[in-house]
Amino acid sequence: MFLVEALEAGRGDRAIARLPGLTLAPGEAALLTGPSGSGKTTLLLASAGLARAFAGQVTIDGTRVLSLKGATLDRFRGRSIGFIFQDIHLIPGLTALQNLLLAPFAVGSAQDRPRALSLLEAVGLGDKVRRPAETLSRGEAQRAAIARAMLLRPKVILADEPTASLDDAACDTVADLLLNAAQETQAALLIATHDQRLRQRLSNHVAVEVLA
Amino acid sequence: MNLLQLVAAFIRRRPLTWAFNVLTLSTGVAVVLALILVNQAVNDRFTRDLAGVDLVIGAKGSPLQIVLSSVFQMDVPTGNIKLSQAQGFARNMLVAKAVPVSMGDNVNEARIIGTTPEYGSLYGATLAEGRWWTKPMEAVVGASAAKRLHFGVGHVFIGAHGLSGSADLHRNFPYVVVGVLKPTGAVIDRLVLTDLASVWQVHEHPDPDDHDAEAMAERQPHERQVTALLVKYRSAMGALMLPRQVSATPDLQAAGPAIEVTRLFSLLGVGAAVLQGVGTAILALGAIGFFIALFGAVSQRRRDLALLRALGARPSLLLSVVAVEAALMGLVGGLVGVAAGRALAEMAARISMAQASGPTLVPPPVGMPDLVAVGAALALAIVASLGPAIIASRTNPAKELASG
Repeated sequence: MFLVEALEAGRGDRAIARLPGLTLAPGEAALLTGPSGSGKTTLLLASAGLARAFAGQVTIDGTRVLSLKGATLDRFRGRSIGFIFQDIHLIPGLTALQNLLLAPFAVGSAQDRPRALSLLEAVGLGDKVRRPAETLSRGEAQRAAIARAMLLRPKVILADEPTASLDDAACDTVADLLLNAAQETQAALLIATHDQRLRQRLSNHVAVEVLA
Repeated sequence: MNLLQLVAAFIRRRPLTWAFNVLTLSTGVAVVLALILVNQAVNDRFTRDLAGVDLVIGAKGSPLQIVLSSVFQMDVPTGNIKLSQAQGFARNMLVAKAVPVSMGDNVNEARIIGTTPEYGSLYGATLAEGRWWTKPMEAVVGASAAKRLHFGVGHVFIGAHGLSGSADLHRNFPYVVVGVLKPTGAVIDRLVLTDLASVWQVHEHPDPDDHDAEAMAERQPHERQVTALLVKYRSAMGALMLPRQVSATPDLQAAGPAIEVTRLFSLLGVGAAVLQGVGTAILALGAIGFFIALFGAVSQRRRDLALLRALGARPSLLLSVVAVEAALMGLVGGLVGVAAGRALAEMAARISMAQASGPTLVPPPVGMPDLVAVGAALALAIVASLGPAIIASRTNPAKELASG
């Protein structure tokens, strides 16, 4: 269960956005909507303890995330939350497979290579697992990032503008992949977006409140 | 996936930057190490050649020249001293051991030294084959001289006048090799030793066509001479009394080899100090290069580092990524530098050996200096990485990852 209550997040010393409330069951998906620059990404980061939260609480399966600190918070984030960022997907110099295994490496978990390989297969990168990340296309890198977000079977998957600058067909594919990812891992999926095409596919919306 | 693979991925992205900085660091290591090795080789060499000789008594002249010529066999003598005077000091109460040396001839650049078998005992020399001489015109050959000249027991050779190559041969006075010495690593290895009387015979009964020797015989018909007397004191008292007694004797000069060597080193030391300074400066430059490279790397990878934080990496992991990258490059720089420094020192040793009259240098075996050099390169790299590593560990994910 992914629970967000009156979360206010910001950069520096000022709260810029507010997420009034959200409850997602395992496997359930929702959109975090709002115009560009309204603070959607900051709210996503804050709900994982990566940006400053000024008020509210985030609860993942009973764990109050914003009360965690330091190494405990880092480990919890790595194991329970899968991130898909807008344009930072992979670390160049490492292969696609190594980029997936970066997730368990970062938190010191067991590195499940067979699962990593089958996830890459599932997102259509079965023939590119040993390709250096910098030789993959943008779309391929994003799909590898989706596979990585699923690797540790997180409780929550957070995706930031995953369909921005994609054509309709690609947009559909990515939406399918994300929804499948939530189903496969039984994770709550929250997608920050201002893309109308996604609004049509998902009915569960929560709008960002911009704080003056 | 492990830390080394991650670090390797980062290094691979800046191959030229790293190649240059590793090169700079290893150049500094190489120069400093080569200087230390050569310096140690020279010190070893002089200490071994000194063989515990406390005082050299020679003809009036420069004490440094007396020591260089009579102990290290590197310069021409200042002249000769009377055998009777030398014998007087040899019998002195303060003297434990006195070895006369008499020189003036060579065979193919190897100096022929007229002396007593006690000269061999100064260097702990033992025979590889044959025996010590029992009469004049018998010779015992040092190991490297025997090897270079292809001399073995039974070989007959003719000396040439002078300390190095000369056409002026003493044809009527052939020597016969009766013994070859085992290598000692000291000056004795490149000498040909013979009885004091051999030198007198060759020069007092001149060849009919040897005008020099004729003149010399005319000048001093019966007073036998030696070039110098190498003295070991019986006690510390010798150091206080003997030099004064020698100086009081007309025509004689006392030279303390240890003092002269120290003086020589302090003269050479200026050049070495300059090189040492240059080496240290290059090392410092290498460290600064590391700092700049790492600083650039960290700012270039801010987003990668932020991604790692989002994946659950602790700040300490980001710190170690940078520190390990620096340590790895420092280690490579250190190892390359040690290899290059060894090669440099070996080259210097070869050059000194190629000059037959110069002392042969042997750089000390791989050991402490090499270890210290690698350690120093590693330490410099890690120190240079501290600042950038701390900056990396403070990566703010919210700033790097929030684009909308």
